[in-house]
Formats: sequence, C-alpha cells, structure tokens
Amino acid sequence: MHEVWLETMMAGFMSSQEKREQLFDFAAIFFRHFTWLENELIKIGETYDYDRDMVSIEVEKLSDLLHHIIKKLSALDLQLTGSPDRMLAHRISSDIHYIISVMRKMEDERIGAFSRALRYPGVVLSKEATQAFTRFLFEESYKEYELILIYNYLKAHSDDAYLNRIFQILIDESQFHFKSFGNMMAKMGILSVPRIVMKELYEVEDIVQFLEDGIEEELTAKEECRVLSEAVGKESAELAAFFDFITMQEDYHITLMKEALAHYRKKEMDD
Amino acid sequence: MDANAQLIEHMMNPRNYGSIENADAQGIGKNPENGEKVLIHLKVKEEADKSVIEDIKFQAIGCSTTIVAGSIITTEAKGVDFDRAEDIIAFTLGMLDRVPPEEAACSEMVAVALKAAMDVYTKRKIDPEYPVISYKINNSCEIPDEKGKQ
Repeated sequence: MHEVWLETMMAGFMSSQEKREQLFDFAAIFFRHFTWLENELIKIGETYDYDRDMVSIEVEKLSDLLHHIIKKLSALDLQLTGSPDRMLAHRISSDIHYIISVMRKMEDERIGAFSRALRYPGVVLSKEATQAFTRFLFEESYKEYELILIYNYLKAHSDDAYLNRIFQILIDESQFHFKSFGNMMAKMGILSVPRIVMKELYEVEDIVQFLEDGIEEELTAKEECRVLSEAVGKESAELAAFFDFITMQEDYHITLMKEALAHYRKKEMDD
Repeated sequence: MDANAQLIEHMMNPRNYGSIENADAQGIGKNPENGEKVLIHLKVKEEADKSVIEDIKFQAIGCSTTIVAGSIITTEAKGVDFDRAEDIIAFTLGMLDRVPPEEAACSEMVAVALKAAMDVYTKRKIDPEYPVISYKINNSCEIPDEKGKQ
C-alpha cells in the first residue's frame, strides 16, 4: 500500500488534466489504508517496517503507470482475503474496486514530467537560480517524504492524544509540501520518487533528541527557503512569494515541535 | 550527456540504492559533525583467488550530493575485484582537495563506507561474526566563512 500511495501521487503529479485532483484524492485514500493496515499489524503484534522496492515511474503515457497501479491494487485485494479484520478488509477492498474502475476509464495522455527540461513554465531563471531551485526540489521532496513517514510512525506508536494532534498536523503539512514540490518537479521535467527512508530514521529511539534536532533542521530549511526566495525572486515574483509562504510555515512547524518537546519533557519529569 | 545532465540523471534515478538480503558484508562511512552516514552492502564471490564485488547497494542519511556520489561510486565498483575497488577508493580520496568541501565530505563518506565493507568481508573470512565497521571522514561538510572559520 505504501508503494501504491507513492505511485498514485506520482500519477497525479504527471497528469495535466482534470483527473489530477482525482488521483491526489485516491492517493490520500491509499495513505489512509496504509495507516489502517499499520495499525492492524501493531494490534496483532506483527513486526513491520516501511521498506519498499525502488519504484520506477518513468513512463511515456499515463496509462502505463495506471496499468501498473491497477495490477498492484488487484494483488493487494487478493492479499486482503487473508486479513483477520474482515470489516477492515471489506472497507479497503470496496475502495480498491471503485478506484480501479475509475482508473480504467481515465483518458490517456503523453507525459512531460521526465523531460529534464529544467525550465519552469512562464519563468526564465538564470543558470545559478535553476541549479539552486533543482537541488532544493530534490532535497526537500525527499525530506518531506521522510517527515511524513517519521511522524506517521510516531503517531502509530503513541496513544497520547495531545501529541497525536501535533503529529497529524505535521503529517498534513508535510503532505502539502510534498505535493507542492512534486508538482514543481513535474513542471521542471525532473519528477522522481524519493529514495527509501532508512529504518533508524523513523524508528526513533530518543524522541526528545529527535525533536531538538528537528527544530534545528526546520531552522535550516527556513534559511534555505529564504536564500532560494532571494535567488529566484529577481526573476519570478510568483516563486519568491511561494518560498516566502513556505518559510512562514516552517515557523509554525517549529512552534508545534517545541510544544511536543515541552510535553515530552513534562511527561519524563512526571514519570 | 554533459556533467549537469549526468548529475540530474543520478538524482532522478540513483543507481544501486537499497539493501541486499543476506549481504556478505556491510560497512559504514560517517560524518561525526552532523550524523550523516552511508551504509554499503556487499555480495562478494571468490573468483580465481580474487574477491569480486558481485552486487553492491548503498543507503544514506545525507543530502542529494551523497546520493549522487553513492550512485556513481557503486556503479564503478560493481563487478570489479577488491584490488580495482581499492583503486576506485584511492582515486576518490585523492581528488577530494579539488572539489568543494561539502562535495568532498559526501564522496569521502561513500569511499570510506566501501572500504569499511571490504574490510569487514576480509575479516569475516577468518571470523564470520566480525561486526560492521564504521569509519569516520576527515573532510568537513561546513563551508568556511570569509575569516576561514567553520
């Protein structure tokens, strides 16, 4: 389900017509399935991880990727017949059947998301700004994917409502950033699937240390956004405004992480 | 394909990223300054008295430069014997003073991880339980400011 979520997100990024939003909605449903199945594994005491195969998405036509996703969904549907939670299996299976039927009818299109054009539509960037922008997109799309998995794992293993509210907001924010950067990568012709996240990153042993480091990383990301905003700002007011907006969002993330940190420290003191 | 196009290619499709089930050896290259690291997995076959890298994969906690370096170096190392792999490591380490510091640290991390994995393989010929080796890098990822401070 992890791979299907990612692949459906990628199908959304590379799609340029109205089905785009539909594919993002389906990806969001698959992400929820992923968390439900994870919760099921935790409940029955089964060990699991977020490892996956390297996902290849470089296709000429959207239908090539959709056929591949449909094949995987059909295999997942078969696997669900052995799931101990029949209600859950039925719910996921019903979603899968409907989504497959819609995907089968989706109009095909040729894909430009892998053209390696390194040009952002409507904007002329200098060579330096293009390089900075390209590098930023590769770094940050991976980072957002990594954060989605880390906060998702923390949330799955926590029964603290206060913390889970914070983790869910951070997951939603990273989903939005991931989607924004993925869309930009597709427009630049450099769409790619983020690399696999190493287990030791999401199986956090010291949460206080993780949050302290995370706050530092957010401060660095904020500075990188500011620098990028300056670099592209001379050539595109639209991109500069976007990166200023992202910079402000990093402030909010830092506040949330500080709240989580204070909560953990208080819990440690109380224990 | 020019150098920039090659870099984009490695960023979009890093070669040999991932792990090897039942690897013969693993090694780590680590940057003690920031916790970044590279883990190399090796599958090795013995051929005409030589140890040959049959398969190689890498994983990294690091930036995209590390991924590009990992992709390039593991591609070079795949299918070669340990003598040739030592040459690749020596060549990589020898050119570090000619590249920007942040790139030097990333390439060094991959090179020493490969060295660590090969050393583990050699040690395991005598002691099959020999643990994974972790080598620290010498280059700093930090870019010195105008006063030369880091």
